[in-house]
Amino acid sequence: MGKKSSVSPMIKELLSQLFKKPATSKYPFVKAEVPEGFRGKQVYDPNLCISCGLCSRDCPAKAIEMVEVGGKRSPLFHLDLCIFCYQCAESCPRKAIKSSEFFELATTNKSSLVLKPEGPSQKGECTQQ
Amino acid sequence: MGKRVQIQQAHLGKASIQVKADATKDAVKALLEANKNAGIVALTGLDLDKKIGLMYHMCTNGVIVTIRTEVPKKKPKIATISDIIPGAQFHEREAADLFGVTFEGHPNPARLVLPDNWPENLYPLRKDAKIDEALAKNETAPSKAEPAPAQNEGDLVNIIIGPQHPALLEPEKFSLTVDGEIVKHVEPRIGYVHRGIEKAAEQRTYLQDVYLVERICGICNSCHAACFVETVEEILGFDVPLRAKYIRTIILELNRLHSHMLLLGHAGLEIGYETLFQYMWRDREPIMDLTEMLTGNRVISSAMTVGGVRRDLQEKDVPKIKTQMVTLKKKMDFYHKLFENEPSFKMRTKNVGVLSKEDALKLCVVGPVARGSGVAIDVRKDEPYEAYGEIPFNIITRDEGDSWARLMVRLDEVVESINIIDYALDHMPSGPFRIKVPRVVAAGEAVNHVEAPRGELFYYVKSQGTAYPERVKVRTPTFANIPAFITIAEGGNIADVPPSFVSLDPCFSCTDR
Amino acid sequence: MVIDLWFIFRVLVFPGFTFIFFFTMFCDWIERKIEARMQNRVGPAFTGPGGILQPFADVIKLLTKEDIVPAGAKRKVFKLAPILAFSFVVFAFSFLPIDGAAVIPNSSFAGDLIFVMALITIANFFLFLSGWASANPYGDIGATRVLTQFLGYDIPLILLALTPAFIAGSLSITVIAANQYLPFALLAPWAFVLFIVTLQAELEKDPFDIPHAESEVVGGLETEFGGGKLAFLRLTRDVQIVFGAALVVELFLGGPYGPVFFGLPEFWYFLWFVLKLLAVVVITEYVTCLFARLRIDQVLSANWKVLLPLSVLSLALTVAVATWIYPLMV
Repeated sequence: MGKKSSVSPMIKELLSQLFKKPATSKYPFVKAEVPEGFRGKQVYDPNLCISCGLCSRDCPAKAIEMVEVGGKRSPLFHLDLCIFCYQCAESCPRKAIKSSEFFELATTNKSSLVLKPEGPSQKGECTQQ
Repeated sequence: MGKRVQIQQAHLGKASIQVKADATKDAVKALLEANKNAGIVALTGLDLDKKIGLMYHMCTNGVIVTIRTEVPKKKPKIATISDIIPGAQFHEREAADLFGVTFEGHPNPARLVLPDNWPENLYPLRKDAKIDEALAKNETAPSKAEPAPAQNEGDLVNIIIGPQHPALLEPEKFSLTVDGEIVKHVEPRIGYVHRGIEKAAEQRTYLQDVYLVERICGICNSCHAACFVETVEEILGFDVPLRAKYIRTIILELNRLHSHMLLLGHAGLEIGYETLFQYMWRDREPIMDLTEMLTGNRVISSAMTVGGVRRDLQEKDVPKIKTQMVTLKKKMDFYHKLFENEPSFKMRTKNVGVLSKEDALKLCVVGPVARGSGVAIDVRKDEPYEAYGEIPFNIITRDEGDSWARLMVRLDEVVESINIIDYALDHMPSGPFRIKVPRVVAAGEAVNHVEAPRGELFYYVKSQGTAYPERVKVRTPTFANIPAFITIAEGGNIADVPPSFVSLDPCFSCTDR
Repeated sequence: MVIDLWFIFRVLVFPGFTFIFFFTMFCDWIERKIEARMQNRVGPAFTGPGGILQPFADVIKLLTKEDIVPAGAKRKVFKLAPILAFSFVVFAFSFLPIDGAAVIPNSSFAGDLIFVMALITIANFFLFLSGWASANPYGDIGATRVLTQFLGYDIPLILLALTPAFIAGSLSITVIAANQYLPFALLAPWAFVLFIVTLQAELEKDPFDIPHAESEVVGGLETEFGGGKLAFLRLTRDVQIVFGAALVVELFLGGPYGPVFFGLPEFWYFLWFVLKLLAVVVITEYVTCLFARLRIDQVLSANWKVLLPLSVLSLALTVAVATWIYPLMV
C-alpha cells in the first residue's frame, strides 16, 4: 500500500461539519417548497372543456374516465392510477387541465383519490385538506 | 457466402444484411475475423406470422451491423453463437424464453426472464400467444423442484444471495458455491422484476409508450425516453430542432449526474462507509431539485416527446443551474481527494473484482465497467446523438480494472457532465423546442443507442404504419454487464462480492424490463 | 443480620445499576447525535427535547415486539445468553470508581483489572453462544466473527492495559486511577493511542465493524432475535461501549479525580468522570465516522501483524521509560 501521498480530507471535514447547520429539513414541521411548474394534482376548468375526450384517449395509465356531469361529458381523474405525466394537459385543445403545486395526496381513504368534475358553473377545485 | 447473404440498405452508422438461418454463424465468424473486438449488442426476435425473425445486432468499430435471419415458426431452431461470442448466452436465453426459439448447442438453456413455473409452450412475445386464456385457467408448468443445491460436497458450501438480501436493492438471485472464503462458481437467475414492458409497448400508442419506457428504470428514465423518441423520429425521418437537442442533452446529463452520485453513495454503504453515503446523497439533492425545476418532477422527468421536448428552458433558470454546477464541482474535488487518499476505502476497493481488458472485450461489457478496464467505448463519442457532436468533452478510462477504477471513472464522469451542462447552457441556440409529428407512424424500422449512466442502451422499433408500434426491443446496459459479474466474482473472496458487485452498478429493473 | 441500606443504594441505584442503565441511554444519544452532526444531518430529534428519549423509545419498542424462539434453536441457551451477557458487563462496571470509590463499596482488590477484563471476555462469549444457539447460518457466521475479533484483540488490549498498571505499580483499578498525578495519557501517549485503536476493535466499531456488516451477514449474531432478547443484545453492546470508555478514563485519564471546587468531593469526582467519559465517546465516534469497514481477513491481519507487535513494543518502551526516566522527573 505504501505511504499515502496526502492525508484523507475526511479528517478535517468531519470536524468542520460539527459546527455547520444540518442539511436536513424537518418536514413536515417545515413546509416543502416546490418550484413553479411542478406536476402536482390536476386543476380542471369545466368552462373551457369541450368534451372532446382526447385527454381520456391519450392517458398512458387509463386514469381518465369520461362521465356525464350536469348534462356535459367531463373527465373524471382517478388519482390512484394517475402517473402525473400531464399528457392530458398537452392533448387538451382548450387547455382546460392545468397542474397545481399540491402534492400531499397520501390518504387512507381510497375514494378521496377520485377527482370528480364539478358542474360547468364553477371551477373544479382541490377538495382535499 | 454468395447467394446466402443479401446486403440491405445501410445508413449512417448502421448496416444490415439478410442471411439464411444456417449461414448465421458463418456471418458472425466473418465479422469477428474482420474485427476481433466486435461484440453482440442485442438479439431481437420478431413475430413474422409464419416465421420468426431473428436479428443479431452486432457492434463493430462503433457501427451497428444487423444480421437478419428467419426460422420457421413450426420448427424454430438455429445454431448458437455463444461458443464464438460468450456474451451472447443471455441474449439467446431470452429469445428462447420469449419467442420459443431453440439455440442448438447452448451451454445452459434454462429460463432467464420468465418464472420457473411459467406454462410451457406459451411464448409471450409471439402475436398469437394466448396469455389471457392461460392466466384465466391459472395454468402453471409442473413445478420442477429446484435442483437441490449440491449438498456441501467436501468443502463446498452453497450461499444464496437474494432474491431478498440487504446487499441488493432489487431482487435477483445469485447462487454462489464457496470453498472456505473463495467463490468457485456463480449462477445468476434474473427475471424477478420482469414486467413484460416490451409486450405492453405494442398495445399502446407511440405517445403513451414514451411514458411507459420511461418507467423501465427510475434512475435512468430520461435515457430510455430519449432513446425511444430518437428511434421513432428516425423512422419518421424528422430531425428535431437544435434547441430541443441541447435541452435534451442537459436533461440527460443531469440524469447521469444523479445516477453516478447515487451509485457512489451506495458503494459507500456496501463497504460500510456510512459517512460517504450521507455526504454523497446530501450533495445529490440539489440535482434532484434542478430536475424538478426543469421538468416538474424530481425523478421521472417526462420531458421527452416525439418531436422535441415538452417544456422550454426558461432564461431565469439558467443562473440557478450554473451556481449549482460550480458548487458541485468543488464538492467533487473533495471526493476525488477522498477516493485517492482514504486508506480504508482503498483497502476495500483496490484490486477487488478485477476485470481484465481481454475479458471486458470478450464479454461485450459496456459503460463505466468497460471504461474502468481500459476499453474506451462511449456512444456519445462513437456515434454522437443529440448535441454531443458539438460539445467537447473527454472519455474517462482507467487501466486498473478493479472496483476502485470503476468508481473513479464514475466520479470523473460527474465532472465531465458538469462541463457538458455548462457548455450547453452557454451555447444554447434559440428557436423552437418542439415540432408537430403525426400520430400515425409510417411503416419502417430503426435502431438507436444512447449512453445511459450504466452504459450503452439500445432500442429497436418497428412500425407497421399504424399508431401502435409493431415491436419495441430494449437492450439495457446491465443486461450486458451481468455476465461480467460471474467472471469478477469467481476466484475472489466472498467478502469482496458486495463491493465488486456494486461497482458494476447493477440496475435490475432495467435488466428484466 | 443488618441490611446495609447504603450498600443496596450504591449497587442498585447510584452509581449502580439504575445509573448505569440511564447513563448508557444517554451515551447512546450522544453518540447518535455526534455521528449525525458529523454527517451533516440531525439525528434523533423528535422524541423528547432534542431526541434525548430516543434510546428509551427504541428499547420500549423492542420490548413490545414478538419474541419467539426458532424451532431448531437450543432453547435455554437462546433465552439466557443475552441476559447473561448483559449482566456480566454490568457486573464488570461495578469495580470501577465512579465517584471516587468503586460501585460495590470496598470491593476493589489487587488484580481487579485482570478480573474485569475476564468478565468482559466471558460476556462476549455469551454473545457468541447466543448466535451459535440460533440454528441459522448467518447467526453462526456472525457469532464466530464476534468471538474471533474479540479474542484476537483481547491480547493487545491486556498488554496495553498493563502499561498504566506498571507505572502505577498496582493491578487494582482504583489504585491506578488514584495515582495519576499526571494522566498516564500524557506519560505514555503511545499506549494511550494504541489502546483507543484496540478499543475500536473490541467495541466492534468502524473500521472493525464486521459483525454488523448487513450486506454480508444479514443480521450477524442478532439475526434470529427479536423483542426483549434483541433489546438485551443491543443493550449489551451499548453498555460495553460505555464500559470501554470508562476503562480508558480510569486507566489513562486520571479516573474521576480532578480539581474540587466547593462542597462534596464525590459530586466533583462524578462530574469529572462523566465529562472525561463523554470526551472518549466522542473520540471513538469520530474514528468510526472516519473509516470504512475492513474485511475480516484485513481485521485479523491488522491485529496479529500490527497491533500485537506494537503493543509488545509499547510495554517494553514503558518499562524502559518508567524505570529510568520517571524517577528523574519526580
